[in-house]
Amino acid sequence: MKRLGIISLFVLLFIAFIAVWNYSYFEGQEEAYIPVEEEQSIAVIPSETGVFKRSDYALDYADMPVDKAHQRTLDTYYNNRAFHGAPPSIPHPIDEMQNIGENSCLKCHENGGFVEKFGAYTPVAPHPELVNCKQCHVEQQKQTLFKTGTYARLRAPEVGNNNALLTSPPVIPHQTQLRENCLSCHAGPSAPVEIRVSHPERINCRQCHVPSTNELIEITAFTRKQ
Amino acid sequence: MFKSISSRRDFIKKMAKLSAITAAVSMFPGILFADEQEAGLPEGNFDWKKGPCRFCGVGCGILVGVDNGKAVAVKGDPNSSVNKGLLCVKGYHQTMCVQSSDRLTHALVKKNGSYVKTPLNEALDIVANKMKETIAQHGKDSVAMYTSGQSTIPEGYVASKLMKGAIGTNNLDCNARLCMASAVAGFLTTFGADEPMGCYEDIDHADYFITWGNNMAEMHPVLFSRMLEQKNKRGAKIIDFATRTSRSSTASNKSILFEPQTDLAVANAICYEIINNGWMNRKFVEDHINFSKGLTKMGYGTEDNYKFKDKPTKINFEDYKNFLEDYTPEKVSKYSKVSVKDIKYLAAIYGDPNKKVVSYWCMGMNQHTRGTWINNLVYNIHLLTGKISQPGNGPFSLTGQPSACGTAREVGTFTHKLPKGVVMNEKHRKLAAKIWKVPYERIPAKPTYHATEMFRAVDRGDIKFIWTQVTNPLVSLPKTSRYRPGMEKDSCFVVVSDVFPTPTSDVADVILPASWHIEKSGIYGNSERRTQHWDKMVEGPGETTPDAWMTIEVAKRMGYGELFPYSEENHVEEIYEEYTQFHEGAKHGMAPLEVLKKESGAIWPYVNGKSTQWRFNSKYDPACDNDKDFHFYGKPDGKAVIWQRPYEPAAESPDSEYPFWLNTGRVIEHWHTGSMTRRIPVLHKAMPNAYVEFHPEDATSLGIRDGENVKVSSRRGHCILPASINKRGLPTKGQVFVPFFDENMLINDVTLDAFCPISKEPDYKKCAVKVEKA
Repeated sequence: MKRLGIISLFVLLFIAFIAVWNYSYFEGQEEAYIPVEEEQSIAVIPSETGVFKRSDYALDYADMPVDKAHQRTLDTYYNNRAFHGAPPSIPHPIDEMQNIGENSCLKCHENGGFVEKFGAYTPVAPHPELVNCKQCHVEQQKQTLFKTGTYARLRAPEVGNNNALLTSPPVIPHQTQLRENCLSCHAGPSAPVEIRVSHPERINCRQCHVPSTNELIEITAFTRKQ
Repeated sequence: MFKSISSRRDFIKKMAKLSAITAAVSMFPGILFADEQEAGLPEGNFDWKKGPCRFCGVGCGILVGVDNGKAVAVKGDPNSSVNKGLLCVKGYHQTMCVQSSDRLTHALVKKNGSYVKTPLNEALDIVANKMKETIAQHGKDSVAMYTSGQSTIPEGYVASKLMKGAIGTNNLDCNARLCMASAVAGFLTTFGADEPMGCYEDIDHADYFITWGNNMAEMHPVLFSRMLEQKNKRGAKIIDFATRTSRSSTASNKSILFEPQTDLAVANAICYEIINNGWMNRKFVEDHINFSKGLTKMGYGTEDNYKFKDKPTKINFEDYKNFLEDYTPEKVSKYSKVSVKDIKYLAAIYGDPNKKVVSYWCMGMNQHTRGTWINNLVYNIHLLTGKISQPGNGPFSLTGQPSACGTAREVGTFTHKLPKGVVMNEKHRKLAAKIWKVPYERIPAKPTYHATEMFRAVDRGDIKFIWTQVTNPLVSLPKTSRYRPGMEKDSCFVVVSDVFPTPTSDVADVILPASWHIEKSGIYGNSERRTQHWDKMVEGPGETTPDAWMTIEVAKRMGYGELFPYSEENHVEEIYEEYTQFHEGAKHGMAPLEVLKKESGAIWPYVNGKSTQWRFNSKYDPACDNDKDFHFYGKPDGKAVIWQRPYEPAAESPDSEYPFWLNTGRVIEHWHTGSMTRRIPVLHKAMPNAYVEFHPEDATSLGIRDGENVKVSSRRGHCILPASINKRGLPTKGQVFVPFFDENMLINDVTLDAFCPISKEPDYKKCAVKVEKA
């Protein structure tokens, strides 16, 4: 009797094992699947982080005399980028190869200034809090290519055609991600002459200049939902 | 300056010489408009015509460039002391809306469910007949007019004259009830005289700017730019005291956040600190102050036919001091979430006799179920320290609409108001009747419906005819989820005058085509008591007509022609001449029309050819006659009142079912309900739709990503909007923020129609909602 009980218990356990094993085997057959949700509308309202970051220097910018002999142009500005919006490359030799940038690049690029050696004013980093500069900005060691190709470039917006009315302030024709701080590119002696602001002391740029870019999403005229 | 300037290049050169801002920059000629920046600009040949901006209450001076009868350019008026040549993005592009393809150019009358283009004369006949018929059938109080803080002074004046003087009903209220009523009630209870005592020039003198729930960088951008200028040049400090981190907060020297509604307690705590640290200006308080208290636990007005009348009781200083014992910084810090240190910091600034302080506020304090109280409480701070009515020292209540002061408050397009005084006062009724040439018995002595109650009455069927002008209540009222179906009912005949189709005109029986801003002449009054006139600059399309003239035409058709003897060409001037009789005298004298035409506005009281910049201060204000430094002549005994007003909770606070505060407001690109600014391509592209802002931690715990659609619902209704995380603004944890400009995402379906029992102004800043993925 006792033996029969033990045998039937084991038989039961074995059946249960088979059942559970079967179940989990078939469950395991199922492919990992995460349902793809339909893409939601893209947020087009840009971030305001760092908008006022360099505003303490605005009066200095306004007071700075213009050094006409060493002005940067928009052409050189864009030529230093693979396409409009791409991080600029490092157009000059650097010595401290081991450094990520915090203690080297920012020495000059945090606040700018004239560099005798290059005969130019240092452009100011719009995001000095990101210190691993060479993560995005790389040197141009060679001018030749590994293989040539047809590389399509995103066209950069032009100057002088961004205002809606004759006297109205131009809109912001480019995205501002990582470039929320307007003054770093639009003010001071390193600003390209075509886009250097005549009134850096105003600070609150977006009071008059608002974003208008179709790069993220095409925005058409306002339509009423009836 | 207003002469035709032949080319853009000439214009720029002229501007460089003349404008106040560019004057500073012209010291560095290389910076200003380098040749490269000028290249490619089109040549133009046009006249510049002056006027005030169409949009907010700052009242910037604009110059509109007119070329061949079309407005082609806008710039800041360098002669205007308000903006000194600078505008904001809305201002620069304002004239572009008139070219919108869906402009209302002709009258539309609803026939069998669809709108039929109708000659204006016929449409006005229909309106007048319907109004007469309704009065004959249901009495005078069955017809109503709902106007606007954007109505010009003449428009408000003829509306008041028609309703109160001709028909004899007080069924006239305006959208300024939704925006300025608490400011008015605050001024009247504390000073007995409406509108700020100081002016914008305070900005040039103040050491500290303390903004109370006020995102000036977006809502009053030109004034904020003047503050930033002082911050950089003189080291003036901006302190932002708010419930949400906004563009203003990040530009300020310090941002202090508080729990919604607890501004009442913090203001009292500041007063407690001022008194307990001996910072009170004893001489000023002894000479110029009375202490009073009013009723408490007033309710919130969410029920129909709610009535409340405050009963002021005089108290003494000791009573007030004892009352403040409940508001020590330590006690207040517990529920306001403002640190004791920050409360003491604020009090120390107000209390320092060597620092000049201006307080600014707008909707944060006015759209508040205790709006009158919080206005009183901030006045208390300035009165205890005597920091008032002096250059750089004073409380300053900003307005949101271009003529909320000029029209709604000064002409008085509220149910209880007359051009001078209130309907309850027999003397004021007699004066109005005399100038209007009507029997004074005709003007009823009892106010009827304030804005919210007016639309409740429409819903209930008590009002059978309503005419709205220059406003879009079905986007801007709170709890539109009730008032939209209310206005759709057949029991009420709805007439809507507007420039563009709106959700309000969608429910109209007759739509009247109004002239836009520069298509008519007009007069506005801004926040600093500045009255500004403009002449018609361009022709409007089709049969568009100035609102004042449409009101006059309807009045004539109703048989009141002899009360409206104005000419179509000159009615603005004629009405202004008649209206200014109401305000004659040193306390409120208005500048004559010749002055307004010549100058970029003048500040009332305009006495002996001079604007009065600081009222109640005998050095500046000729109406002071008590032989003291200050005279608060709005009150019979010449003393201002410090009010004992406690903290009371909001009408609806978050709970387990609806766990978030909902705060609503605006963005710089759009003005109010967006009916104009959304039709300006630059502004629409910059801000194409509304959104709901989250604190990032709330978004994470709800699993909501940026840009994802979210359903915001309350006990009233719901609204679906894309989420916005860490973009334009950052609400405190437990709070969401939604701008209200978007008629396709009506957040006011969700808001609560609770209001301040004294001012009857609704609170759009606080109600409880839940949020979930849509």
